[in-house]
Amino acid sequence: MAYLVRNDIVQYACTCGQLRPISFLYFCRHCLKLRCGFCVCHEVESHYCSNCLEILPSAEARLKKNRCQACFDCPNCLNTLAVRGTTVSVRDPDDPGKVNSQKKYYHACFFCRWTTRDVGLPDQAVQTVSANGWAQKNTSNVQRITVLLEHAKLLGMLERHEREQREKKFTARFRRNFTHLPGLTAAHVRKRAGLPPELPAPSTIKVNLAEFQPAVAKETVPELPTDIFTKELDIGTVTTLTQRFAQPETQPDSIEGLLPSYKHLSTKQSQRCRECEHNVSKPELNPASIKFKIQQAAYFYVPEVRIVTLEPLIGGKPSEVVIVFINPSQHPTTLSFITLQEAEEEIKQHQTEGTTDTAVQQGEAPLSLSSLTKPVTVVEEPRPIDISMTGEVQLPAADVEIVLPPKDDAAEYDDSGEIQQFHDDPKIVIHRRANKASLRFTVVPKTDIAGENCVIGFAFRYTYVNRISTPAIATSEQKPQKVQLCTRIFMNCGKILEGTQ
Amino acid sequence: MELNDILYNKAEYVETASGNKVSRQTVLCGSQNIVLHGKVIVQSDAIIRGDLAHVRTGRYCIVSKRAVLRPSFKKFSKGVAFFPLAMGDHVFVGENSVVSAAMVGNYVYIGNNVVIGRRCILKDCCYIEDNTVLPPETVVPSFSRYAGSPGVCVGELPECTQELMVDLTKNYYQHFLPASQ
Amino acid sequence: MSSISSHHDAKPKHDLKIALHAIVCHESKLRGDITIGAHTIVHPRATIIAEAGPIIIGESNIIEEQAHIINRLPPGADPSSQIVMEIGNGNVFEVDCLFESTKMGDQNVLEVKSHVGREVEIKSGCIIGAACKLTGKEVLPENTVVYGRNCARRIAMDKPPIQTLQIEFLTKTLVNYHHLKKPRSANS
Repeated sequence: MAYLVRNDIVQYACTCGQLRPISFLYFCRHCLKLRCGFCVCHEVESHYCSNCLEILPSAEARLKKNRCQACFDCPNCLNTLAVRGTTVSVRDPDDPGKVNSQKKYYHACFFCRWTTRDVGLPDQAVQTVSANGWAQKNTSNVQRITVLLEHAKLLGMLERHEREQREKKFTARFRRNFTHLPGLTAAHVRKRAGLPPELPAPSTIKVNLAEFQPAVAKETVPELPTDIFTKELDIGTVTTLTQRFAQPETQPDSIEGLLPSYKHLSTKQSQRCRECEHNVSKPELNPASIKFKIQQAAYFYVPEVRIVTLEPLIGGKPSEVVIVFINPSQHPTTLSFITLQEAEEEIKQHQTEGTTDTAVQQGEAPLSLSSLTKPVTVVEEPRPIDISMTGEVQLPAADVEIVLPPKDDAAEYDDSGEIQQFHDDPKIVIHRRANKASLRFTVVPKTDIAGENCVIGFAFRYTYVNRISTPAIATSEQKPQKVQLCTRIFMNCGKILEGTQ
Repeated sequence: MELNDILYNKAEYVETASGNKVSRQTVLCGSQNIVLHGKVIVQSDAIIRGDLAHVRTGRYCIVSKRAVLRPSFKKFSKGVAFFPLAMGDHVFVGENSVVSAAMVGNYVYIGNNVVIGRRCILKDCCYIEDNTVLPPETVVPSFSRYAGSPGVCVGELPECTQELMVDLTKNYYQHFLPASQ
Repeated sequence: MSSISSHHDAKPKHDLKIALHAIVCHESKLRGDITIGAHTIVHPRATIIAEAGPIIIGESNIIEEQAHIINRLPPGADPSSQIVMEIGNGNVFEVDCLFESTKMGDQNVLEVKSHVGREVEIKSGCIIGAACKLTGKEVLPENTVVYGRNCARRIAMDKPPIQTLQIEFLTKTLVNYHHLKKPRSANS
């Protein structure tokens, strides 16, 4: 419940220093690190219309300006329009005496009851296609806009050209390094080196640029209607700003100018770890599907933390907090608790180890294609966590280890009530159930900040079973490896009460 | 936060063989047309209009206090009918909400005081915030969070929504216990 | 607006008049002097309370569950005065709406969770959108549509369609599932 309804109570520190609830974090199984929405690459997998759930290929979506061709938004309240059918009687053109009934369709908004008939749009004979081109009515500026876009593109190319000329001195030698490799064309090399494709010669760009005609300021401005100051304004016929912004091409000032607009498309996205370029999340293309081809949400790998009960928090006084730890993985895990400072040091140590590792590898391996294709990893310095602690938490000693059994989906149907034996300290562990353990912590809120939220932070180590055989591990042993990982947790325990004395 | 126990008066609720817990203070019209697929909680003063058309809920659905499940009316070229209301598994319907949808998928969260208009289609894994008004025939795609009047998409849901909703509804059912005398 | 009839009786008469062909479910809550016109459907759990005076409901209206139609005494008013609430024909009161005004024309729709206060007069063909609250003092002109979070208004081209088909359907089906309050003419 917590993560859908309120997601600011328990927050995990992402590798990049962001604080997010666990449901919004990913766990890269290759780097064994937490990733949040800000430190992964988002890639559009498919475009679809949120109303008709039709998928459009991305090229077509771009061509259609990322809008659905079958669904419309109401220009009045921006809700989706619905199609309504009516039968109208039409006089038969061949036989004037006969009257044919014909099915006609129009669009209506079920929210504000706006209809296409309100603005005098003719009913259509076909239900789905709006080929009669309402929305393309005002296309007078389209040509000019394409010319301007083209011009801006040319300018960009020219600028890039100049920059590359300037940089050539430094990069020329480096680039020659791999042009001698067999089977590589210049275009290939550019691509591998992460450079954009070759540009046309600057002379042709300049010729094209010269063809451009700049805009000319006009002296004559259409005059205001004579009755603008005398006529009483009927507020009901004037469009609102929101309505005008929804139609940037025409921006009508009267409600008679409102036209239905094509519905914007939505996207399905996949997330990719920035460091190892593996996907951490990849949905199925079909918008109706909720399945994933790859789903490495932290929720499935990292133990989840929830507050169960709280004693009233009084400044300076220790109070008891019961926190439940849940193991979501298929393997048992061992928890131990450390302070934030210890955790930070541990993380720093990991980082330095990591960098030396890669340095050694680069030194050993000869410059080969594989290292060329390997992209330059962008390792960002994690930002410091910006949260002020308003309470102290007393953790169990670092050598206290809590074993959490694996998650068992069948346990729900198992009534045997088999009790596993754990050698727990009853002072710490107060309750166990399947893959959950409730632990008792003591929190001492700071004094003199009554009324503020009590924020506590701690870290815990947990064992994670790595089942991915990366090449490095594969050479040594195929067995799944046990790794000890560390996560920092920040908890908002609620308001601190005034001391009684 | 871990859910606390929600205690109910044992005399007020009927528990069926399939684990449905239904309050006696509800109005279940046309009960032969209502199918609750097990472990469903229907709380006091909820109304389910099975007399208008079939109403079907999946497993682990929670219908909170004063919520109304009501099949929606539709005019066809040949006559009229009420659309049956189909609801998937693990759906939460908040207090005072009125649901006239044609279809509610699995793992859907509907907040308190929400109006789901006629013939709406709520796909799997979506979240309707409190006080939202969804106009009739709105389609809510998966992994979206809707709010406002008219309801518009205001955000996305995490990839693990399915598991969160399963956890929420199961937890709710486990914590929905009779008060001990 | 509120017509005040001569006060020959201080207490409202507990008198329910249901016209022929009206469907009034037994589980609805009706208090006070209420007249229900022909072909009007009152769903179970609908509430109609005539506290300040009689409520006269016309023909072919639909009053859904949890709809509240209340003729309340204005605060500080003389309890002996009689205020008559008149509701025209072909109106729809959807689930959970609250209607306290004293005058309504024909073919209006009060959508789900809408609220119409005492001092709002509704002409004909108006639609009060879902969850819209009107509590000021105003007269809604014909075909007004109130919608959205800020109760925006516009004037529609047409009146909302009449729900004859729905009434026919409900007349047929509700009988099978509910006990009905017996029609009783005002004269008999």
